[in-house]
Amino acid sequence: MHRAPRLNVSGVLINAAALVLVLSYALPYIYLLMTSIKPAADVQQIPPSFFPAVVSFENFREVLRSSTLPRAFVNSLIVAVLTTALSLSVAVPAAYVATQYRRRITTIFLLFALVTRMVPSVALGVPLFQLLKSLGLLDTIPGLVLAHTSAAVPLALLLMSAFFEGVPKELEEAARMDGCTRFQAFRKIILPVMTGGIAVTALFTFITSWNEFLYALLLTSEATKTAPIVIAEYNSVYGLAWGAMTAAAVLYSLPVIIVTLALQKQIVGGLTFGAVKG
Amino acid sequence: MSDEDRFVLCMLAPAVAILGVLVAYPVGLLIFDSFFKVDTITPHIREWVGLQNYFDALTSKRVVESALRTVQYTVFALFFEFTFGFCAALLFSALAGQSRWHRTIFALPLMVPPIVAGLLWRFLLVGNIGILNYGLVRLGLISDPEAIAWLSSEDIVIYSVSFADIWLTTSFVALVSYAGLTNIPKDLLEAARIDGANALKRFWHVTLPLMRPVIAVVVIVRGVDAAKTFDLIWIQTQGGPRHASEVFSMNIYQRMVRFGDLGEASASGTLFLIVMMGLAAVAYWKIWRPVHA
Repeated sequence: MHRAPRLNVSGVLINAAALVLVLSYALPYIYLLMTSIKPAADVQQIPPSFFPAVVSFENFREVLRSSTLPRAFVNSLIVAVLTTALSLSVAVPAAYVATQYRRRITTIFLLFALVTRMVPSVALGVPLFQLLKSLGLLDTIPGLVLAHTSAAVPLALLLMSAFFEGVPKELEEAARMDGCTRFQAFRKIILPVMTGGIAVTALFTFITSWNEFLYALLLTSEATKTAPIVIAEYNSVYGLAWGAMTAAAVLYSLPVIIVTLALQKQIVGGLTFGAVKG
Repeated sequence: MSDEDRFVLCMLAPAVAILGVLVAYPVGLLIFDSFFKVDTITPHIREWVGLQNYFDALTSKRVVESALRTVQYTVFALFFEFTFGFCAALLFSALAGQSRWHRTIFALPLMVPPIVAGLLWRFLLVGNIGILNYGLVRLGLISDPEAIAWLSSEDIVIYSVSFADIWLTTSFVALVSYAGLTNIPKDLLEAARIDGANALKRFWHVTLPLMRPVIAVVVIVRGVDAAKTFDLIWIQTQGGPRHASEVFSMNIYQRMVRFGDLGEASASGTLFLIVMMGLAAVAYWKIWRPVHA
């Protein structure tokens, strides 16, 4: 397809089109970065300018010194780490038997997990609120972790199943020949081979919890507000504090973006194989 | 029970327990609550009302309007995500090996938290300081930066709030479609070319039919996600102005939190669930089954 010389013109056109497309998708986020390093007063100037006239870290200082945001980051981090640990510890063994020991019950189970992904969070959030309230877990870290786990387990199950499908059954059989029990084979032979897949799944569940908004809005009030809730409040509680908001949004999103760009290849694989096998 | 069965059950049990307590039981509770009149302050005092909550929900103008708006939002967002995403995938596959950097940068919005995407787009569209309108003036498309009130005009707000969704998820469509395009056997396209089919014909008769399953997955996965949207719109408008951007999930949230009407919120939630399950069933029978069977 790429060898005829007359294709050069269209080759240039395709390159140009791709460049325009990619740039127009990157621009909004670059504008967010640019705005966050403007002095607070310049953020709301009319007309707005794309690039900062002066570089200032005033907005970042403000949000880091505030009483709410640093604490919200800590809350988000704790919730995301605990959600990831809990979800993986139940999903990894289940995904293993669901793919390596296929039978009716495991098929039904995987199907249930798949269907769960379709449940609107608001439909689950209403009864979860009641449930956590009756357990005295409203506005607590464990309560929010449980809510996030309800969304993270199905995701982890589907991702891990896809990873386990690549593991030959012979691996376990060989370990059992050598005298391992099924549990030992899983723990000592299978798990070490799967570290890559487990890491990608962990990252996905972590991001799911880190980004989650609706449950946090519904189930937390003061003590356990997470970062997205506090960032959203920059827009209402404090009027339109765009400068602080952009700085908080950068602090909140940039670490995830950097980590995922670093692991781009694995991530894109993880995202797409749910839909396209391979 | 054989040793093997016991092993399977032991490994499965914790996940079953978690999903049972955190998904199946709440869903049961949701359906149960939908038949009662319950006050959220005193949830133990409840009155059986049968299907009254469903009747109230389906005859409420605000509920029905929010449901229709959800369809509007979903169709609009999906159409543009799909068009842009599929075109991007075609461009990337035309560039083949040279498209690595393009794809990396294009994937960037995928990692942006929805709440940040929502705030960012609100900032781009908001009156007075929204830079998008100044850009449109510069391009000569509109005459003055106040010409389009993206987020405060009741007529267009439901479309304006979907820009953030489109920006955020076009890359998902593009990456999935790209993966699908690279799986199309090259010799098929080559054979069509030798038979004298031009690029357009090759696309229409070879590429598109082979991409059908991928397209179906993308449409269903993204369609369900768009229909569930809450945070992206909430952060931009909180459903305003005058409910003009209130989608179904937001309507349920409002009735639960602001009006404390657990019964009616549960009835709407159940209806929402049934529609989504219907879509999930279609997705399963049409798409996942042949892959996972």
